[in-house]
Amino acid sequence: MSDPEFVKVKYRLTEQVARPGGMTAGLASERAQRELAAHAGDAMKSLGGMIGRLEVMCKERTASLDSVYEEGSTILDIAGLFNKRVLCDACYSLCELVDRQRTQKRAEWTSIGVHVSALRLLWTKDGQDPATLKSVVDGLWTITDRLNP
Amino acid sequence: MALDSQIRINLDRSVVLLVDDNPQALEALTAMFRGFGVRKQFKCGSGAEAMHVVKTQELDLIVIDSAMPDMDGYDFVQWLRREAPDAAKFTPVIMLTGHAARTVVEKSRDSGANFVVSKPFTPEVLLQRVFWVAKDERQVVVAEAYVGPDRRFKNLGPPLGVKGRRKDDLSTHVGAAKDPNLDQSDIDMLMRPAKVQL
Repeated sequence: MSDPEFVKVKYRLTEQVARPGGMTAGLASERAQRELAAHAGDAMKSLGGMIGRLEVMCKERTASLDSVYEEGSTILDIAGLFNKRVLCDACYSLCELVDRQRTQKRAEWTSIGVHVSALRLLWTKDGQDPATLKSVVDGLWTITDRLNP
Repeated sequence: MALDSQIRINLDRSVVLLVDDNPQALEALTAMFRGFGVRKQFKCGSGAEAMHVVKTQELDLIVIDSAMPDMDGYDFVQWLRREAPDAAKFTPVIMLTGHAARTVVEKSRDSGANFVVSKPFTPEVLLQRVFWVAKDERQVVVAEAYVGPDRRFKNLGPPLGVKGRRKDDLSTHVGAAKDPNLDQSDIDMLMRPAKVQL
């Protein structure tokens, strides 16, 4: 095995961010938030569609755990960009649950169904009553943690 | 540690590559970077497209989603660090992750990305990571099993009794003194300015 080599790298980005002009970090974040807000409506609509697909999977119980995981992971991806923290936490619990079920090669649709119903609730209540919604997410983690990683 | 909101940042000449297989996520990322003042962005929906951009464009930053079909973000970074053209090999990468499945934990650790940002995040957090990347002074490690920024943020030196792998590695262990302590007059002698013949 050859020895590791250490290379000193100079990034162009380092010089660019320090160039005169630009804007304050506060303004940049604010502008980004505004730009992002223009996409939030469409994102919420498609999140609703994805939860709908999960609901169908739970009803039919024929989908593979990989498909459930992928759908959950996509919801997490989109919701995560819009900082939908509660929805992300619930979705993370679903992904973790399905990942554990995959490891144990055992699909348990009831617990997946509870997660999907909760996702629908959290999607509907987007941002309202954070304390209650957090308790819903805590409940989901209790279900997930029943399965050993 | 939050980014100081008064700090100035100039990204208007930076060329950024954004990679996500989900068109909606890609649009959201584009919107964020537009807000940050980045004028030139390349958007790719797959690792293969991103490879092409890397080979043909000069990039300053790559932001990539970890979970993608065919070639995921981790595989892309591994390719970038090992097989991309030399000029592009060490382009800084910010990896965006959702849920980390058991099977990809090691892959993530060994991918060679500069920073991993887990979702959910706000534009402020992403901007902070961009800033961190710009200020990242870690050396790049090129080894058989890993190519990427040194994963040790603080170099505390090799463990006691282990020979360092870097030329400048020093152990933090000082050890017991071998020579007698200097007395004050010796120290004064060391400090006293002396005339030298030039």
